[in-house]
Amino acid sequence: MRKTRTQRIALNAVGVLVALLFVFPTYWMITSAVKPSADLLSPAYDLVPHSVTLDNFASAIAKPGFTVHLTNSLIVTLGAVACALVAGVLAAFPLARLRFAGRKGFLLLVLIAQMAPIEALFIPMFLLMQDAGLLNKLPSLLLVYFAITLPFTVWTLRGFVSGIPFELEEAAMVDGCGRFGAFRRVVLPLLGPGLVATSVFAFITAWNEFLYALVFMRDSDKQTLPVWLSTFKTVFGTDWGGIMAASVLYALPALVFFMIVQRKLVSGATAGALKG
Amino acid sequence: MKRWTKLMVGAAAIALATAGCAGSGGTDSSNEQKAGQPRTLTVWLMNGSAPATLTDALNKEFEQKHDGVTVKYEVQEWNGIQDKLTTALASQNPPDVIELGNTQAPAFASEGVLTDLSKDVDKLNGGQWLASLKASGEWDGKQYSTPFYAANRMVIYRTDMFQQAGVTPPTSRAEWLAAIGKLKAKFGKDKQFQPLYLPGQNWYALLSFIYDEGGDIAEKSGNDFTATVDSDQAKAGLEFYKQLVDASGTTAPKDNDEQNPEQAGIYGQGKVAMMIALPWEVDTAAKNNAAIKEKTSAFPIPSRNAGETAPVFQGGSNLAVPVNSKNADLAKAYLALILSEKYQSQFAEAGMVPGASTDLSALDANPVSKAMADASKNGKSVPATPKWATIEAGQNPLKDMLTAYLTGAKDIDTATADANKALDAAFSG
Amino acid sequence: MSVSMTQTAQITAPAGSSPPAPPRAGRARRAGLGERAVPYLLLAPAVITMLVLLGWPAIQVVGISFRKLDLGELVRGEIVWVGFDNYRAVLADPEVWAITLRTVLFTAACVAATVLAGLLIAILMRHVSTTVRVAIQVCLVLAWATPILATTTVFQWIFDQQYGILNKTLVKLGFDSFAGFSWFSSGASTLTVIGLLIVWQAVPFVCFTIYAGLLAAPRELYEAAAIDGASAWQSFATVSWPAIRALVTLATFLSVIWDFKVFAQVWAIRQGGPDGESTTLPLLLYLKGIAGRHFGVASAIAVLMIIVLLVLTARYLQLLLRSREADVS
Repeated sequence: MRKTRTQRIALNAVGVLVALLFVFPTYWMITSAVKPSADLLSPAYDLVPHSVTLDNFASAIAKPGFTVHLTNSLIVTLGAVACALVAGVLAAFPLARLRFAGRKGFLLLVLIAQMAPIEALFIPMFLLMQDAGLLNKLPSLLLVYFAITLPFTVWTLRGFVSGIPFELEEAAMVDGCGRFGAFRRVVLPLLGPGLVATSVFAFITAWNEFLYALVFMRDSDKQTLPVWLSTFKTVFGTDWGGIMAASVLYALPALVFFMIVQRKLVSGATAGALKG
Repeated sequence: MKRWTKLMVGAAAIALATAGCAGSGGTDSSNEQKAGQPRTLTVWLMNGSAPATLTDALNKEFEQKHDGVTVKYEVQEWNGIQDKLTTALASQNPPDVIELGNTQAPAFASEGVLTDLSKDVDKLNGGQWLASLKASGEWDGKQYSTPFYAANRMVIYRTDMFQQAGVTPPTSRAEWLAAIGKLKAKFGKDKQFQPLYLPGQNWYALLSFIYDEGGDIAEKSGNDFTATVDSDQAKAGLEFYKQLVDASGTTAPKDNDEQNPEQAGIYGQGKVAMMIALPWEVDTAAKNNAAIKEKTSAFPIPSRNAGETAPVFQGGSNLAVPVNSKNADLAKAYLALILSEKYQSQFAEAGMVPGASTDLSALDANPVSKAMADASKNGKSVPATPKWATIEAGQNPLKDMLTAYLTGAKDIDTATADANKALDAAFSG
Repeated sequence: MSVSMTQTAQITAPAGSSPPAPPRAGRARRAGLGERAVPYLLLAPAVITMLVLLGWPAIQVVGISFRKLDLGELVRGEIVWVGFDNYRAVLADPEVWAITLRTVLFTAACVAATVLAGLLIAILMRHVSTTVRVAIQVCLVLAWATPILATTTVFQWIFDQQYGILNKTLVKLGFDSFAGFSWFSSGASTLTVIGLLIVWQAVPFVCFTIYAGLLAAPRELYEAAAIDGASAWQSFATVSWPAIRALVTLATFLSVIWDFKVFAQVWAIRQGGPDGESTTLPLLLYLKGIAGRHFGVASAIAVLMIIVLLVLTARYLQLLLRSREADVS
């Protein structure tokens, strides 16, 4: 489709507007983090902060446990995402491409598994982890995050796999690849953008989870970032500037994660399609 | 559809077969550790309760007194504490000493998950206990938790503004309203000035006004409560709340409480002459405006009867020993130590009303905490029912009542009748 | 395989339409036991994880819904069966149907807004310069990644009566009636703000998913359509839509489940107020069950929620089970 210059400019302008609209609450979080706390409830009009300070960031990083909790969060989140992606891709392939008995039953299981409200599951989940002797150990969180992101991962990846024309694989098989070779060489690279969406989703779900982290981990040095974040709220009042600064720091790893997977997977997809 | 039926039947069968095992988190408390062996006493206190200097000394002294005992002291956050306590109490190694909010204590006591401390009251400095907290620790005539510390609200004010407007701390409601008028006359030119910052849902203040009228929010009979916010006294209290809001012309939201937005932050901007607050809110305000601390003092909430102070809602914490604790004997000894005069007086020095000491002289040093100490003698608590925790955690009918009446959405009879119905439903639910 | 071959393949069978019946592995040869086991082996990690970590607790929830399980029973490990008492207690509440209806309508509104916005932005992303596209993507990821504690707070600040930037801006623009306007005084406007918050954080996923689907339809197809003189709408209908149809359905389905279950955002804004007018089923579960530690009641509400969700998604599940290829994802 050839677009005229005006059309292009108009579309880009709309794009910028959308970006601004979406970033505004985040922008507001960032300005709240750099405002002196006296300005947080300022009656003045301050779309752009009148004065800027980095004190909140300094005190957030200096708050005890930041690095420990960051490490814990990274371990459980990345671990859960990796497990979910591996199990998800393995399951998505037969679900989208093979026929076998019990396939529909499994699909139904995956669907219904997502419907249970997580707030109602925490008691049985807690008892399960206690019986398994995993309480107060990071693997318990990793497993739970793996489990709560898995149905979604399987389901979405299956959607992406069935979206990829089967003829591509067939052609590869004609070229001498085996059934799985074809999948690996043709489908997997094309799955790139899908993997970005699912892995970022899984990452953010696990990264933000609070309830299980709170009840499974007794020792404070085993806690994750969401629990650390909540310590800014005390009976003596809430350090809002601190929360906002901490939240900015907290959102950064998700952004970095997105950048990395985006570069690796989407560029891979294009290359794969051309090679295909 | 057959498939569906089969699936449902199958699921139901499995559910029944396995549900027996579900939630069987009970623990066997018979394997108590024997004395002489190294033991660990796990203590959970809340963030902000006891200063670290106090707990350090306390834990050290306890360990010295009890050979081979290590105190595992863990500070808990209020955020999510209900869920954490629930699972911890059901786990195989529950903490041995826990701190509970006084309004939540009855919920735990009524479930039978706390150790009965009735026989130990004397050993635990029981003669000195704060009455309202003692009451919140009782259930069915037994003592399940002990007072720890308390705090109550008072009117925090700007001394410089009072001086300039020529008013002195009021000692009656009439004087209070007059003071608001004078402050407004003096500083009213500034559009942002508020003689009193009072958000619509400060139900703690409302309680004070209702108590002052001789009313209460519920009546007790046995373990049951009946709501009484539709009484004439309660209506008069609500009426006075509105009078204050109208007289002060406060711009605080009518549909939110003192924490949203945080009233201390607004006080800290220096355009507010008074707020009904807890002592440490002065420090919060001073974070943004260090100079304000010097210009701040406090007086107890004035009563309708000149010269008296209005009764106040006493917030605070209790201490308890979970019933599954494997070190109940040690836990009781720990309670005895923390409730002893030596440590309780340190709570007063830290600016709290000690739960087990009637000596409040340490609070007199600071005018703000002195006002709290004065008012605390007339402290009351919310109905000691297990249902209250739910009311407070969720949709507090008193807050809805305040908003509805202050915004004019409901008249006083409808507002109080609706709240009364909602409270009764919550008490019986 | 050449590029042209890819093209032909995709033109004859656009992505997302019914794939041909998957060949049975090794039909020419006799399918050996090993080969028949392949799908099960591949599924095993997912199945085992889901059964143990989701299925087992979920079954227990069903069991608990027929028991009295308060804190006391939990701590003592007692099992007290009460039949349908928990369900009766929940259903006896005259509010429960109003809350259910509210939750369903609220979910529908959120899902419609999310999917529509996600779809439009995904399409837009294909038509803007790289810089703008990356800017949109970064902004979306930031919206997505911002922790809930921060987003709920920021939204309350933005919409604050006195100090909120929204009211201040509206007044600046000349709408003086918004000075001191309360966005949270009625259930409807409270739910609107909550809905905005939920949609804001839900759009990124939907958008990235649909965008990923759009990428799967190669540019050559659009160019071919353009040469044929197709209008923008025609090229969307013939090229883009088939590529993303399945993903849009999938995103809709998942959004229904998520938005129906949203708790943290709804709770944080006004705890279901004013006067309970923004209370949804997950809040009811919390208020009636978790807050008072009546886990039996909480489980009963959870089961009811699952039933309502099954009804809401019945059409989709039916299609899934009936269709021979189960390709309606």
